[in-house]
Amino acid sequence: MSDQIETMINEVFEESFEIEKEDLKPEANIFEDLGLDSLDVVDLVVALQKKFSVEIRTDERIKDIRTLEDLSKFIKELKSES
Amino acid sequence: MRRVVITGTGSISALGNSMDELLNSIENRVCGTQQMPEWDKYKGLQSLVGAPVTLPDIKTIPRKMRRSMGRMSLLTVFAANEALKSAKIEHDAITNERYGCVAGSTMGSAEALNDTFETMLPDHDLSLLSSMSFFKCISHTVSMNLAHYLGITGCVMATSAACASSLQAMGTGFELIRYNKQDLVLCGGAEELHPTVTGSFDILFATSTKFNDNPENTPRPFDKNRDGLVCGEGAGILVLEELEHAKKRGAKILAEVVGYNTCGSGSHVSQPDREAMIQCMNSALMDASIKPEKIDFVSAHATATLQGDTEEAAAIFEVFGSKTPVNSLKGYIGHTLGASGAIELAASIEMMNKNTIYPTLNLDDVDDKCSMIYHVKTKLKKDIKFILKNCFAFGGINASIICKKYE
Repeated sequence: MSDQIETMINEVFEESFEIEKEDLKPEANIFEDLGLDSLDVVDLVVALQKKFSVEIRTDERIKDIRTLEDLSKFIKELKSES
Repeated sequence: MRRVVITGTGSISALGNSMDELLNSIENRVCGTQQMPEWDKYKGLQSLVGAPVTLPDIKTIPRKMRRSMGRMSLLTVFAANEALKSAKIEHDAITNERYGCVAGSTMGSAEALNDTFETMLPDHDLSLLSSMSFFKCISHTVSMNLAHYLGITGCVMATSAACASSLQAMGTGFELIRYNKQDLVLCGGAEELHPTVTGSFDILFATSTKFNDNPENTPRPFDKNRDGLVCGEGAGILVLEELEHAKKRGAKILAEVVGYNTCGSGSHVSQPDREAMIQCMNSALMDASIKPEKIDFVSAHATATLQGDTEEAAAIFEVFGSKTPVNSLKGYIGHTLGASGAIELAASIEMMNKNTIYPTLNLDDVDDKCSMIYHVKTKLKKDIKFILKNCFAFGGINASIICKKYE
């Protein structure tokens, strides 16, 4: 399940932001390493909502996400809550 | 007043992704109209033909530039790249407060508008909308994206007047330079082919509907058997520049812009008005300080609607009589709406410089009501010094521009 979530998150970054697979390391900073900006984050939220069938647009925890690892932990938390 | 010249042209249309491809296809009498089989699903849509573009690889545009671009902005970037290349201007040399862009379209990206409403309306839910929807849907999406892509810091403006959009952009750029507000302006416009766009003309019975099985025979400007317009798509961008500025950098000058006018018909939202057309052309001639007999070639708006072509033929006859050659390029690339003025002016300038006027495609039998003017039906060699280009838009917005060969 855990690997599957990471794979699905990576798919979002490849499909929506055209980031190469080899750059998608858990410690990669979404902004500094992967180059997303505040507008991309809006689209990241939309893409994650679609991918994982979750509602995260107003979830305050999003603001603390910096790395891909943070993101997968957040999605896992959400899945465990539901 | 300062003199304004054109130093670069670029286009993308159903007949290719460059001016050379467009001119070669016109030379070979190629019609870009195709069947649009996927439009079958739209109930009530009678016109199932269009003139679509085959887009080049869009990934040549960096993602952060591209993400805010709907199809019409992508088309614009390809046309602008060609225009700048032909003007021999590097991308990194365009950021200057005296360099601007004026580009228009009928509306924002039709595809993006449609996608936005399809996403939002079923459940009245905004949460799945992309952050980029707004930037693709806005009326100034073409000029905004072009300015962002090129780093333009001078005047950025959008002209939105349906089929006169890009000719108004040309005229606005002309005036910005003429009156010393800018030194160089990229001017033009774009439009995209979409069933909702064709549909907007279709419900007004303005589209071609009888040639769905033989699309290459439509549209038929000025022809007895014309039955309406065919929507196309594309973009045209021209580089307008102050004469001394162009000479100083050793630019090749393609033409000089000498006169322009835009006016309202003030009468009806859709019915063409020959008196307003006459006024528009006469005012452009007055602006250029030349008499009608100086014009060697008129590039007509002529979209192949029954009434529009008749009114324009009557207006051209009134201003120019029956000896000035007239053509329409709609038979080749369809009606590219907001892009038509720029694409067709760029092609007409090429014709002027080659002293060659290409014929109106699909004009086999001139309609009696349009027969009073001189229709170009076969390739015509002629010494051309002045050309006039018309755009007469729905909404009663008219525009005419006059260019002179630079010698």
